[in-house]
Parts: sequence; C-alpha cells; structure tokens
Amino acid sequence: MRTLQLRLTVLALASTLAIGVAAQELTVPNKPKDTLKFAVIGDSGTGDSNQYRLAKVFTDLYGRFPYEFVLMMGDNMYGGESTRDFQRKFEIPYKPVLDKNIKFYASLGNHDSPNQRMYKLFNMNGERYYTFRPKPGVRFFALDSNYMDRTQLQWLEKELSASGSDWKIMYFHHPIYSSGGRHGSDTALRDQLEPLFLKHGVDVVIAGHEHFYERLKPQKGIHYFISGGAGKIRKGDVGGEFTEKAFDTGYHFMIFEIEGDKMHFQAISDQAKTVDSGVIERRRVDDKAAPSVPAAPSVKPVPSQDKPNTSTAKPTAKPQGVR
Amino acid sequence: MTQPIYVYAVTMCLLTACSSSAQQAGRADPQQTPKVSHINPDAGLVADFKKRVDEYVKLREKAVAALPAELQEKSKPAEINAAEKTLAQKVREARPAAKPGDIFTPATQASFRRLLTPPLTKGPDAAENKATIKDDAPAAKEVPFKVNAEYPKEVPLSTVPPDVLLTLPALPKDVEYRFAGKHLLLFDVKANIIVDFMLNAIP
Repeated sequence: MRTLQLRLTVLALASTLAIGVAAQELTVPNKPKDTLKFAVIGDSGTGDSNQYRLAKVFTDLYGRFPYEFVLMMGDNMYGGESTRDFQRKFEIPYKPVLDKNIKFYASLGNHDSPNQRMYKLFNMNGERYYTFRPKPGVRFFALDSNYMDRTQLQWLEKELSASGSDWKIMYFHHPIYSSGGRHGSDTALRDQLEPLFLKHGVDVVIAGHEHFYERLKPQKGIHYFISGGAGKIRKGDVGGEFTEKAFDTGYHFMIFEIEGDKMHFQAISDQAKTVDSGVIERRRVDDKAAPSVPAAPSVKPVPSQDKPNTSTAKPTAKPQGVR
Repeated sequence: MTQPIYVYAVTMCLLTACSSSAQQAGRADPQQTPKVSHINPDAGLVADFKKRVDEYVKLREKAVAALPAELQEKSKPAEINAAEKTLAQKVREARPAAKPGDIFTPATQASFRRLLTPPLTKGPDAAENKATIKDDAPAAKEVPFKVNAEYPKEVPLSTVPPDVLLTLPALPKDVEYRFAGKHLLLFDVKANIIVDFMLNAIP
C-alpha cells in the first residue's frame, strides 16, 4: 500500500511539474456567498497518469474556486473494484478535496458495479438513482441510465412532479443527445426521458459516456452537456448538427455556479485552459408550461483569454439519432 | 307496370330484413360464435416466471438476514466486496441443486424470445436497442455461464435498453436482466452472482 501511494505521489508530482501550476482564468462570478458552486467530472476512473494530471488541475482549482460538491457522470471505476482500485482511481487523485470534506455525488456508468451505490464517498445512500437539494431552489437528479426500468421512470415522474419551481438538473451516464461518432445519441433512452423532462421543465442535462466535451445546441429548450473526458479521451469523435462547442484534444472537467436564474459554466482542460464558458439563462415558469415550442437558445458565451485548439470536430453533420 | 316493381321492391326489403335479423339471432347464439381467445398466451408463463423469481428473492433475503451485522452496514470497498462474497456463498448453500432453466424454464424462454422480438427486430428503435446492448455488453466468453457463479468484477455489465425492460416482466429490487453476447442473464446485484441464464435470447 505504501509503495502504491509513493508511486502515485511521484506520478502526481511529475504531472504537476510537466504542466506547471497554470493560473486558470475564471469566467464564473466566483462570488463569496449567495451562489451555488459545483464541479463535474465524467469517465474518470482509469487510475492512470492522465486522470492524475487532470485531477491535479481540478483539486488545485478548489483553492480559488471552492466548489461545494462534485457530480460524477459515471465510469467512476474502470476494471477492478477492489479496495486498491478505489484508492488508485478515486481516493488518491481527489484526496486534496476529499480531505476538505467536499462531497462527490456519483451516477453509475456501464463500467461501474451497481454496488458502488454502497460506497460511502459516492454519497448514493445505497440507491442507483436519487435526488438531492443542496440549497433552496436547486434540485439535482442522478439517474442510472444503464437500467432505466419502470420503477425508475415512475420514481422520476413522482420526484419531478414534487420538485416545484426549482432549477432541475439531471445527470446520468448515457447522453440522449450527442454528436459522438462512437456512441451518439441514445434515442431509445431519449424516448423515455425527454417527455418527462419537457413535461416537468428540466433545465439542464449533463451526461458522460462519450470521451470528450460537448455543449449541444439547446434541444426543445433544454441545455445539454457531455462531460466524459476526466480519465479518457477519444480524439476526432465529436462534431455534428447538435454541436455548439466541442473539445476532444485533451482531458477536461467542468465547474458551475448558479446565481439566481443564471447558471454560469466553464469547461477546463488538463492544461488548465478554458475550453468553453458561458451563462445559461433559466427559462421562466411560463415558458416551461409550453414545452412543445422549442425555446430560443439562451446561452451567452463568455470570451476566454485562452484560445486552445478546441476540437478535431468533423465537418459533416449527422441526422438526429444516427450513431 | 309500376305496381309489380313496387311489390318486388317491398318483398326484397322484407326478405333482406328477415335474413339480417336471422344473422343477428345467429350471432347471439353462443353455439355458433367463433371462439376468439382474449387470453395472452404469455400471461401464465410470466406469472410462473415471477413466482420463481420471488421464491429466489425470499431465499436471498433470508440469507441477507443471516449475515453478520457488520456485513449489512457496509460503506467501504472491502466491506462491500466481503458482503457480496459472503452473501453469494450463503445463496449457494441455500440452493445447492440450482441448475440452468430453474427460473428461465424452457416455456419461459420461448415466451421471452417472443417478447424480445419487437424491441430488438421490429420497432423503430430496434437497431438502436441492439446496438446499445452490443456496445456495452461483454462478450460471452468473458462471463461464466454457470448458475450461482460470481459475475467478474472487471467485466462491465451490459446496458439494457428501456424498450427491453418495459417489455420483459418487471423484476424485484436488486434482481436484474443483463446481456452477455447474445445471451440473457438473471443477475443478483446484491450477491453479484448469476441466478440463471438463457442462451441465444437476442433474436
């Protein structure tokens, strides 16, 4: 165990020296109070140097942007799930923020054992799907997209019905809209979930599974993100008619800050560069009542000082739902 | 000239009316009613399958209750893995003679193949559903096709498309359908074991 920790510490140190401690430009307001700050990582659990390099940037950022919790988009654990695996793929890379009692709220990916729900540091309370409300007015729903059965759909309908006028933020592993060539949109899952999202006024949906970053054009008024590059990347896989912004040439994570009816977001690479940022204006309750009318996109991009190569996006558009 | 035509027309109307009313009377006669069955041929098989699954769950819950307290309250990876392994052993001891087909009986398998045909071969999302299973499912050789065998931790579990889950009979909590290659598994999440399996389930 000590040998493992020593090796991983050396690995993390080497990663730090390789990229330097870049001063990350924050585009989110980073207000000291009255906002909700959180972060997102997806497809992280490789335990390799790429995960560690990004984790270093991610945990370093906490010093400047103290996110209150972290959402995990699934594939939290590739391969084995022994004690050693949980250490190598989760506890050691994120130790700096775990030590500060920052909670991680996991969702399950196709590489995850459903019994990760028992693991205390994933805060799933023994459930494959769950909801939580970290502050008044904002509610999160973690779904298990690997196994969307009747019981889960009925639970979701019930919880959404009771969620009132809160921000409603969904997160789960399989994207129902995606421009990925390898996986693409999960249209069968979309058939089940989208009607509920529209009926109950879901605002934002975040997924993983695809090993890149993608901000999609709003679909029927709902904002979609894919953040599945915290441990793996798949270059040249993203780009199409859904894409508003994409990044697949490096690893990334996201940070969010909710301030009243505005949600600020920023995607940051393993080189500590901003790859995307903007503000989502929340739809009014009146707008949500008429979901069949697609709402105009309401994302205001925030100009970034860093202009990295954001994508190897393919120029050809794909029709909806085609993998 | 017009009178015979009128008489003929009235006669024809009367004959038609009599014939029609005779037909209606005939329809009302249960002896002459063609027998149309409204019974779902799969309903009985589904009920039998559910009963067998429920019996398994009762057995499993008995094994859970017999676990030491420290294995029931688990939160660390070592505790989770130990609880799974201990429970799996208890389940094996409770059903030592379990064999393939105890739950997926031959009749149930035939019924499941019928049920799986629309979402996997006919519906608008059939190709998508098959692709989803294929995309995430392990190859058959990666999974031991043995009742009560542990599901290998390093092998991902297949994603099961909602269309399939909404078609097959609902399962109790912590018992799930999963695929490996073209084969369907009945998987116990709590004990991480294969309860039963059905070969060549995907049409």
